[in-house]
Amino acid sequence: MRLVLAGTTVAALAAAPASAFAVDYLSLEEAQRLMFPDADHFDSREIALDATQLQALDAQGIRGRSARWTVRIARHGDATLGVVVADAVIGKFELISYAVGIDGDGAIRQIEILSYRESHGGEIRLPAWRRQFVGKTQAAPLRVGDDIANISGATLSCTHVTEGVRRIVAVVALARRNGSLP
Amino acid sequence: MSDRRVVRRARPLLGTLVEIGATEIAGASLQATADAVDAAFARIAAQQERLSRFVAASDIGRFNAAPACACIDVGADARTVLAAAAELRDASEDAFDITLGSGPRAWRLDERGLHKLADGVRLDLGGIAKGHAVDCAVASLESGGVDAGWVNAGGDLRAFGELALPIELRDEASGGVRRFATLEDGAFATSRREGPDGASRHASVAAERCLWADALTKVVVATGNASHPLLERFGARGWLHSSPIGSA
Repeated sequence: MRLVLAGTTVAALAAAPASAFAVDYLSLEEAQRLMFPDADHFDSREIALDATQLQALDAQGIRGRSARWTVRIARHGDATLGVVVADAVIGKFELISYAVGIDGDGAIRQIEILSYRESHGGEIRLPAWRRQFVGKTQAAPLRVGDDIANISGATLSCTHVTEGVRRIVAVVALARRNGSLP
Repeated sequence: MSDRRVVRRARPLLGTLVEIGATEIAGASLQATADAVDAAFARIAAQQERLSRFVAASDIGRFNAAPACACIDVGADARTVLAAAAELRDASEDAFDITLGSGPRAWRLDERGLHKLADGVRLDLGGIAKGHAVDCAVASLESGGVDAGWVNAGGDLRAFGELALPIELRDEASGGVRRFATLEDGAFATSRREGPDGASRHASVAAERCLWADALTKVVVATGNASHPLLERFGARGWLHSSPIGSA
């Protein structure tokens, strides 16, 4: 084990200004190809939930949050293999975007984190801070020594991601029942 | 700086975000490295199924549901973690307690299995199992042909091979991170919680294996002693972080 401290003392560390932290893992296109390697194309479809459907989700204990969802349908020829839905959730200091792959029978196939952003201060609540990351998951190939920094801290709970995944599974099931998804 | 590429992925596992980074396997396709990363995630998911208290059929779920005097048959992961937990409990005068106060001495592991010695004692491996999961994922990557990389389970992390991993410490009070250290071939974990005296403590420990780093942060937080004798015994080093990094 070799550990080289960055600062001289723990007190110096506390006095140093905090910086933001960001990692891009995968673009949505890369994630959907990983989840459905047999797909030869993906169709994008918009789903709009009406008030009754949002209430139905509420009754399942799932906050609908958004009425509009974009679903990517994985296809091989005419056959539907499953769907991929991307979403982003906000924690105390972090913004996490992720994608869920769902099989034709409604089972979760895979969950991949697309990007992770950690703010300092209260920026995370500012729409402008969040907007700057929209569509920024390019996932350039990393090289050793580029930016491989890792965060250590009191364990980050991924409750928001777990809730988000439940919501997406419920939305997809609802859309399949009413025929707006194959 | 090297020209080797890195496969870096993150998934929600163990109740947190788990990140795996793997330098590409020399002489193989990048897909082979991605497959090794997938296998390491699968290893963590399998351990979660066996050790989580939230899974009724897990070794820990069955122990918690069993009556007093039961003897539970447990797997290799549970044996490794429980043996380490017993060693730490005995050496820390119960400061390290996987029963969270429900009966630190009311369980025993021997060659027959895991014995429940009293009704009402419940195990929670939250303070040590993540570290073991990181160690298992590193072993999985190495057996898959990856010679350098890292695994980070929500802040309990380990780096291996020829790679210097910069570690950023999260500011728990106001967000953001500060560069703390660079780690090579070793583990680093951080914990923050209320000590028995009600004060909030925030501590990190570096050790060879992540199981010890993870578990020993709990000892430092519980005792408020970053130079606790147990650290030296496991070749570890500890830090208590001061305000504002750990301020409430």
